[in-house]
Amino acid sequence: MLTPKRVKWRRVHRGRMTGKALRGSTLTFGDYGLQALEPCWMTNRQIEAARIALTRHIKRGGKVWIKVFPDKSVTKKPAEVRMGSGKGNPEFWVAVVRPGRVLFELSGVEETVAKQALRLAAAKLPIGTKIVARAEAEV
Amino acid sequence: MATKDHRLAIETREGIGTTKAHALRSAGKIPAILYGHGSQTQHVAFEAKAFEELLHHGARNALITLTMSGKNSDTALVRDIQRDPVTRKVIHADLQRVSATEEVTTKLPVVTVGSALGVREFGGVLDVILHELEVAGPANKLPGEIEIDVTELGIHDHINAADIKLPQDFKMVTPPETVVVAVEPSKTAAQVEEAATVPVEQAEPEIIGEKPEEPAETAS
Repeated sequence: MLTPKRVKWRRVHRGRMTGKALRGSTLTFGDYGLQALEPCWMTNRQIEAARIALTRHIKRGGKVWIKVFPDKSVTKKPAEVRMGSGKGNPEFWVAVVRPGRVLFELSGVEETVAKQALRLAAAKLPIGTKIVARAEAEV
Repeated sequence: MATKDHRLAIETREGIGTTKAHALRSAGKIPAILYGHGSQTQHVAFEAKAFEELLHHGARNALITLTMSGKNSDTALVRDIQRDPVTRKVIHADLQRVSATEEVTTKLPVVTVGSALGVREFGGVLDVILHELEVAGPANKLPGEIEIDVTELGIHDHINAADIKLPQDFKMVTPPETVVVAVEPSKTAAQVEEAATVPVEQAEPEIIGEKPEEPAETAS
């Protein structure tokens, strides 16, 4: 699963998820992509599940790019622990996704295969998404 | 494509700024700027529908005749387009005044033609590494796209920018050694196998700047 190798701080602030993705909102490598329509904290498990669904469907041929990385740690306090005594322990890693962000890109496969693979991957994600294609994309 | 006559009716903008731009967009118009040829930069606007239609007909890399109050005012190239990240609607455009015979540098999209040998016979993947090439040439002869024939490309073969034939009067600005298209062996099947064997739990990441525990204890 995707996790950072080195981090500057073990725990980070929660931050905000307002607005739209101003970067990473266009297809850069592949011919087809999956674009987020809602904001979310996407966990590394969700990204991995979507990636596996994608690569298993296209079997061979094709190339996949994962365009989000879970670099934010999320902490949790253990069950039945009183408040205070500092912040909890890092439990998992998330990528902050804003609407418009292209999550995965795909190339080298036929349109029908690509769209079905992206549909299967979308089912593993906690947000609404749409499939974007370079041919239909802006000029 | 290049010889097609593209016309766009523009009007000068009364005011500038976020509020005025929002008002224009809700009225079905696109705020834009028109600059170049040493003249003063003009804040203009035009109908969103007309502009989208022009783009659909290949005006992204073609000379557009601008008309203001029914009269031809300038010829221009679309230099930049800003879109909404979700709806992909055009929210702003940059137009540069360009005369027909002037030499301009622009980025043209790459289109591959045919099926590569390495893909057909050996199950490789055609990877378009550079989706746009920068070329220089006369503004009125700009091709809409650059076609690259990939039928002869085997596995691990590639095409550099220097290998691409451009229309007459055009020269390549992209560095000649830049790889544009390549055929790579497929890794997807191997990746699936690898994914099945990778352990779910990972080690905790290293903290940058944090001293290792053992040396700290020995020092004190």
